[in-house]
Amino acid sequence: MAVGTHGESFMETDPPASHPARHGGGEASDPGLDGLAHVANKIRDAVESVIEGKPSVVRLALTVLLAEGHLLIEDVPGVGKTMLAKALARSVDCSVRRVQFTPDLLPSDITGVSAYNQELREFEFKPGPVFANIVVGDEINRASPKTQSALLECMEERQVTVDGTTYTLEPPFMVISTQNPVEMEGTYPLPEAQRDRFTARISMGYPDPAAELEMLETHGETSPLDRLTPVAHAADVRGLIDVVRRQHVSAAVRQYAIELVAATRSHPDLRLGASPRATLHLVRAARAYAALDDRDYVVPDDLQDLAVPVLAHRLLPTAEAQVDRRRPEQVVADLVRRLPVPSHGK
Amino acid sequence: MTVMAGLATLAGSIGLYPLFESGGWFWAGLGAVLAVAGAGVLARRLRLPAVVNLLFGLAGLLLYLNLVYASDAAWLGTIPSPESVGHLGDLSESGWRAANRYAAPVPVLPGIELMTAAGIGLVAVLVDLLAVRMRRAAPAGLPLLAMYSVPAAVREDGVSWLAFGVGALGFLALLMADAREQVGGWGRTVSSFRQREVPLAGADPRPDEGSALPDAAALVASGRRIAAGAVAIAVLVPAAVPGLQPRGMFGLGGDGNGGTQTVTTPDPLVSLKRELTRLDDSVVLTYRTNDPEAPDYLRLYALDKFEGDRWTYTQLDSHPRDRLDERELPPPPGLSVASSREVTTRVRVRPEVRDMSFLPVPYAPSEVSISGDWRVDTRSLMIYSLRDSADGRAYTVTSRRAEPTIGQLAAAGNHPADIVSRYTAVPKNVPREVKQLAEQVTAGSATTLAQAVRLQRWFTLSGGFTYDLSAPAPKHGSDLVDFLLHSKRGYCEQFAASMALMARILGIPSRVAMGYTSGSEVRPGQWVVRSRDAHAWPELYFEGTGWVRFEPTPSGAGGQGTAATPEYTLPETTGGGGEGSESEPAPESSSPADNGGPAPQPSARGRNDTGETGGAAAQGDEDGGFSAAPWLAGAVLVLLLLAVPMALRTFTRRRRWAALIPRPGPASRTRPGARAGARPGSSPGAVVRAAAADPAGAAHAAWREMRADALDHGLEWRASDSPRATARRLGELLELDAEGAQALARIARAEELARYALSRSPEPPERLRADVRTVREAFAASVGRGARWRARLLPPSTMAQTWDTLQSAGNRALDATARLNELPARLRRK
Repeated sequence: MAVGTHGESFMETDPPASHPARHGGGEASDPGLDGLAHVANKIRDAVESVIEGKPSVVRLALTVLLAEGHLLIEDVPGVGKTMLAKALARSVDCSVRRVQFTPDLLPSDITGVSAYNQELREFEFKPGPVFANIVVGDEINRASPKTQSALLECMEERQVTVDGTTYTLEPPFMVISTQNPVEMEGTYPLPEAQRDRFTARISMGYPDPAAELEMLETHGETSPLDRLTPVAHAADVRGLIDVVRRQHVSAAVRQYAIELVAATRSHPDLRLGASPRATLHLVRAARAYAALDDRDYVVPDDLQDLAVPVLAHRLLPTAEAQVDRRRPEQVVADLVRRLPVPSHGK
Repeated sequence: MTVMAGLATLAGSIGLYPLFESGGWFWAGLGAVLAVAGAGVLARRLRLPAVVNLLFGLAGLLLYLNLVYASDAAWLGTIPSPESVGHLGDLSESGWRAANRYAAPVPVLPGIELMTAAGIGLVAVLVDLLAVRMRRAAPAGLPLLAMYSVPAAVREDGVSWLAFGVGALGFLALLMADAREQVGGWGRTVSSFRQREVPLAGADPRPDEGSALPDAAALVASGRRIAAGAVAIAVLVPAAVPGLQPRGMFGLGGDGNGGTQTVTTPDPLVSLKRELTRLDDSVVLTYRTNDPEAPDYLRLYALDKFEGDRWTYTQLDSHPRDRLDERELPPPPGLSVASSREVTTRVRVRPEVRDMSFLPVPYAPSEVSISGDWRVDTRSLMIYSLRDSADGRAYTVTSRRAEPTIGQLAAAGNHPADIVSRYTAVPKNVPREVKQLAEQVTAGSATTLAQAVRLQRWFTLSGGFTYDLSAPAPKHGSDLVDFLLHSKRGYCEQFAASMALMARILGIPSRVAMGYTSGSEVRPGQWVVRSRDAHAWPELYFEGTGWVRFEPTPSGAGGQGTAATPEYTLPETTGGGGEGSESEPAPESSSPADNGGPAPQPSARGRNDTGETGGAAAQGDEDGGFSAAPWLAGAVLVLLLLAVPMALRTFTRRRRWAALIPRPGPASRTRPGARAGARPGSSPGAVVRAAAADPAGAAHAAWREMRADALDHGLEWRASDSPRATARRLGELLELDAEGAQALARIARAEELARYALSRSPEPPERLRADVRTVREAFAASVGRGARWRARLLPPSTMAQTWDTLQSAGNRALDATARLNELPARLRRK
């Protein structure tokens, strides 16, 4: 699969290869749950044609896309992080920018810079790579925290402020970042604030032998990424997002989400629990997750499935827990196992 | 702390209550405790040494007693003077005498009250000194224990569990207050309400999890739990184990004198001899009767037990419900065929009579009007009292005097089994000669009555017996044998005992009655009974008549002066020859002759059975201490208790569905089960009706029901599993077939929709109910037989429910005590 470092270009724009046929032309007004399933399945198939044998990872990625979130893909080099990011970006026909985070990257390299136009004799704003629908930030933790912080505003507020001027980003806006685990050499840990802005962190994991064998065959001729054509338009995705927003979350499930997040805050193994934003992200992701499951309501199972990817990367273990090698993932899984699901009547 | 010490003393003193008849002593004790506590506080204020503290306490107590009991003789009404101290001494001496005279419970006389107050006060002084001044709260329990042991030692039935619990809690409170003050010396105690954490399912925190800082609240709570648990165990365990407490499990809950008590009185036979040989022959009682004939004997005791040496009565199990004013007297046993007439007797017992705790009444009393706590022994109809004495009392007795004819007695049928087993037991050590003698004397008798009559005649006429009051009272079985075979000299006791024994040997139920003869008539209807009229006589049981008096003792000048032989026992004197008397009743009872004929045979057989085996068994029963009845009742109770969870489970199941499924008609009642697999569309009416009902409720009911079933069958139920996760897990676990899996999925989906979605399940409740049944069968099939039976008999779901309820109640109680403990601290802060 793709190697971890794409050194070919410092800043790269993936040109959309060809436009997919739009649904009925114009904005898809209300695709509904069936339309969502239809479009989502197409995207999923497209991504899975590149990433073999990882349906749950693909599903999580799609969930984050529909939940208007940002995705952090963390794993050791060479397991297909960038491939997943690029495949997801490419299956949707929208503007995609790719930023290779290097140690010498500066904040203005991401947000854009006001340059003096000698002809017009005025400062002209040159938008950075964040001005796109999907931003693929590769190896995000190889840049210094200073540079990483440039993403803070755009990720949360979906706007960029340069020289006092605020530029709004066009929806859908999604940051897909890859990173190596912090134990790897030459990496900076992401600041807590930054991590909290990612809806979910997923890890790829090694493919099973069969998938790896098939990968060898398909990658022998051409990269499957090159053959990937967009299957959905940005407007379609916006419609899907609207559908997801209307998903029903019962009071019981909301209460469950709150209890789950609150439990991380009082857990003795955790120095820092999950934020209210985490609760928000969790419920949003659960909505999308339920929609992908063809349901118009959220069940606690959605929250349980999403708890580890959505919550774990925001938590800071205590020193003791670190010494005992109790990872936040285990803590969250443990909480999910122990917290009773809400029953009726609440 | 002072307050706590006082409270502990008071709580301990509550245990004294069974010693007294009324509650006035308690206030005296309260005053004493207050006085001592006040003196103690004063002494501590002045920072005096411990010895002086003790003296202060004693002085306070003396002042108090002086003030209350001897203020007239004191200086200025308060300060003790020699006279007032002397008065106190007199008073306590009279109290001492009274305490020696009366058995507990004693009336609250001033002297006794003074002694009680002084005693409690002394304990209070000691407790105050130990716990407050010397800071040794634990040894302060010793004086409290001493106080507690007084009633426990005096009263045979011990102290009620409630009083014990209060006393123990008082001591615990003292300990707690001491510990609190010690901790308080290091800083302020933290409020110790247990905070309720996020209810994590199966939350058993890892040991290293909660150990970061010791949780004081948890410590306090567990300390309380231990204390309450210890008291509860101390109270409950002796109650639950029969044999540790005389009252057993079923006496629990009554007040002190409410429980059953065993009545012990001096051996009646000993007093009989004493009465008979009294020189003064004083009047015992007088009575007026409306009986036109010679009135019946006045019976005190019925001695139903012969254990080889002497006749005694089976221990009476006295209970307050046996009080005369609370119950009707039971009808005389066995009286059904023979006619009877009502006799009213007005008895006046002379005041000089001592210790008459059994009432002399003509048999069989049906109504007794007397003041005081008089009770009846339902089996023998003896009237007795535990605390009152009959001396000087007047009472009216209405009794039913049976008037059997000879024919009725001769035709008496088989005796009931309980009578036979109780009243024909003959100990093994009765010599063979006596048995042979009994057979020999009654040889040739056709009926039970004939046997009895021959026995009586043998004693009074043909046997060659001599009435001799100087004969020693029989002490052993050998004395009776000697009386029968050799000396043939004795008084009513020997006669009655021997005849009753021989009757038993012959298989006739018998007992020895004791009391007085009818005495002598002084005016028409007015009778006087003197101490020489004390008497013993045998009573034999005849079915249809009941207990019938016989008179083997010679009467008249050469015997018991006022003894009278009953008419029905005198066929010989009226009929003449022995054989004639035998045949005489036969024509009169020609039709019952068929019944009467074989009567002796069964009774003889009954004698053989009971005499050898049943008698021994009965003997063993009585000696073994436990009779079968309480155990049987206990077993039934245990069974009932065991059935409770099952019944609860069934009830819950019914209730869950009852509200949801509109009661189906009898025809459609069986349908839901029959069409478990049918499509809902097949009966649109039912669907519509169910939809009109509460689909969410139905889903919840189905879900809860399934949960209970799963728990009942020992399947794991995780609170953290959502419906679909549960269904998935159970499905994999049980390897359900297609139908079961579908049913499970339907229930889970209905519940999920009901819980989390806006739309509702289209499944009708009947369908869900059928699904639940299908799943339950699958559960049952998946577990072993033991688990299946447990699910049926002891459903754990019900047990868990009950346990939860108990636990939450316990927690609330603990919280309440915690708040109570905080109260003084908070008040002080204000």
